[in-house]
Amino acid sequence: MSELQSGRVIKTQSGKDVKVLDKLGEGGQGIVYKVDYGGKQMALKWYFRHKLKNPGKFYENIKNNIAHGRPTEAFLWPEDITEWVDNTFGYIMPLRPREYGDFSKYLLAKEKFKNGRTLVNAALNIVDGFTALHRAGFNYQDLNDGNFFVNFDTGDVLICDNDNVMGHGHNSGIAGKPRYMAPEIVRGEKTPDKQTDRYSLAVVLFLLLFVNHPLEGRATNPACMTEEHEKKYYGTEPIFIFDPDNTSNSPIRGIHQNAMVKWPIFPQYIREAFVNAFSNEQLHGKNPRILDSDWLKLLIRLRGEIIACGCGREIFIDPTQPVTCRNCGKQIAIPAHLRVKKFNVPVYPTVKLFSCHTVDCNDDFKTPTAEVIVSKNNPGSMGIRNLSDTTWYVSGADGKSVPKGRDEVVKVASGLKIDFGDNLVAEIIGN
Amino acid sequence: MSLTDNVAIPRKTMVLFFVVDTSGSMEGSKIGAVNSAIEEVIPELKNLSDANADAQIKIAVLEFSSGARWLTPNGPVEAENYVWRDIDASGVTDLGDACLKLNEKLSTKGFMQEATGSFAPAIFLMSDGAPTDDYKTGLDKLKQNAWFKKAIKVSVAIGDDADSGVLSEFTGSSESVVTVHNVATLKKMIKFVSVRASEVSSKNANVGSTEGGDSKQSAFIDELNNFKVETAASADAGGGDEWA
Repeated sequence: MSELQSGRVIKTQSGKDVKVLDKLGEGGQGIVYKVDYGGKQMALKWYFRHKLKNPGKFYENIKNNIAHGRPTEAFLWPEDITEWVDNTFGYIMPLRPREYGDFSKYLLAKEKFKNGRTLVNAALNIVDGFTALHRAGFNYQDLNDGNFFVNFDTGDVLICDNDNVMGHGHNSGIAGKPRYMAPEIVRGEKTPDKQTDRYSLAVVLFLLLFVNHPLEGRATNPACMTEEHEKKYYGTEPIFIFDPDNTSNSPIRGIHQNAMVKWPIFPQYIREAFVNAFSNEQLHGKNPRILDSDWLKLLIRLRGEIIACGCGREIFIDPTQPVTCRNCGKQIAIPAHLRVKKFNVPVYPTVKLFSCHTVDCNDDFKTPTAEVIVSKNNPGSMGIRNLSDTTWYVSGADGKSVPKGRDEVVKVASGLKIDFGDNLVAEIIGN
Repeated sequence: MSLTDNVAIPRKTMVLFFVVDTSGSMEGSKIGAVNSAIEEVIPELKNLSDANADAQIKIAVLEFSSGARWLTPNGPVEAENYVWRDIDASGVTDLGDACLKLNEKLSTKGFMQEATGSFAPAIFLMSDGAPTDDYKTGLDKLKQNAWFKKAIKVSVAIGDDADSGVLSEFTGSSESVVTVHNVATLKKMIKFVSVRASEVSSKNANVGSTEGGDSKQSAFIDELNNFKVETAASADAGGGDEWA
């Protein structure tokens, strides 16, 4: 059905030739090919005829998205669109780089993150992509596990299938997967918008961190999953598997194993956020959903609170409390924490600070601005190295202010204050 | 368990049932085409299952001629692990027995006993003749089966001797029966039906739309109709050996 043969040449709107090279994959709406696009290898998504409800409108929407440009580099965004051929068309986008794998394969345990920080990085990057999309006035409409490619070594994320992205107030007419759709859409009460995207975001984040679906537990595990069941479980009677007030849909041992093991490991504030995101009120559309920016803050905090014990196991810690490794049982010595903005960052080797910590009104979680290091001569002594171009001013009890420029190190001592600039002052507090 | 260790997320199973007529009249190019088409489509089903976090696809095969026999007697096999062995054709067309055998296994005590549950299966019947046994009794029984009722059912009538009336009774509508007249179209149809029926059946429903309860079957019939139009055009142009 509407397959393109290798070697076939099609013209694009911008007047370029696209030559079909290989078939890369096939989905419900069409086929993705590797193509030569003016000498560059790109991807072409080619729609099946008859699959789009309103192909003319869909075509115009993609054209608009091309004109608008991608919100950030994380989007495999449409760059050109073909002319109509035999009542259908396709669009050109960048190829997925080799180092990125399928999010679906992660869910199937065929891919694994390098460590906990890269895992939380992926969560941050997904939220960041959504924020950028929403700020640009778009919403996603049909979000699911197939929309993400992930670099499991770094946590970098690429967002694909951006043909379903629409400007606010428009509806692509694509129904989507109910597992990822806001219950009010499943119930037929609403069409996709920013609020429903935020629900889908919470589902994706839960899947990423807990590797089970938030609404799939003992009450939703029938022998035969029918369409009526799906409407009930994801629409009319959704119940969070960790709903503190309703345990009827709790996870089943041996089936929802990941969530059972991981839920108690995560810090309370993360659990609370999901309990809130999937509360009865939220599932019935009564409360405003958790903002992208709130997820960012929670996840920045979470990433900063991961440390590796000497035994090799990574754990989440409360930087202000004594820590015992849940693997080897040993006490982990964390001499101090740095209080900055609303974060408590543990002073512990390999911990980094980012612009979101050291720059006022900034949510950049990617650019490192400081790192905790151990003294070569005295392993018991730690320092914070300035990785930024901003000079810090460090003051102690004597009130003297000492400048620390790029690559200079602040020797950690309780009570020290670091002025990162713009009156953003951090304090080192001994534990 | 470390922060990054996981087991695979539980997913539903979707069984694709091939119900294949292996009566004597299928001998030669018909059974040959069935054999090679199913063999060739299995890697596609494997790919479909491989990256699908919603469902894994399993295959069950029932052949019928003089009596019906499971080629997967121990239950459905993961597409990843299924190896097709060519089947031969001889004997009569005991569709009734096939219905009874299918009915027996469409049960949580039979082939549908996944701990994580199943989607309704896709059932794909291929035949080139008319039943030689009392198919009514078997089919009536099968039609009471809850799994069968929810399944995507589709049938390919091979040549004009196939009783498309009976096949329509099996699938529930004449729209879900396709008649093919040559090897090329038969192979195309087997591949299309296997892949798309599995895909539609194993994806969650399009519940955002206002369609009724049977939307998977009707969504699939829509696709089938489009595909029929497209292949009709190319098959006529292709020519080749035609079956009566």
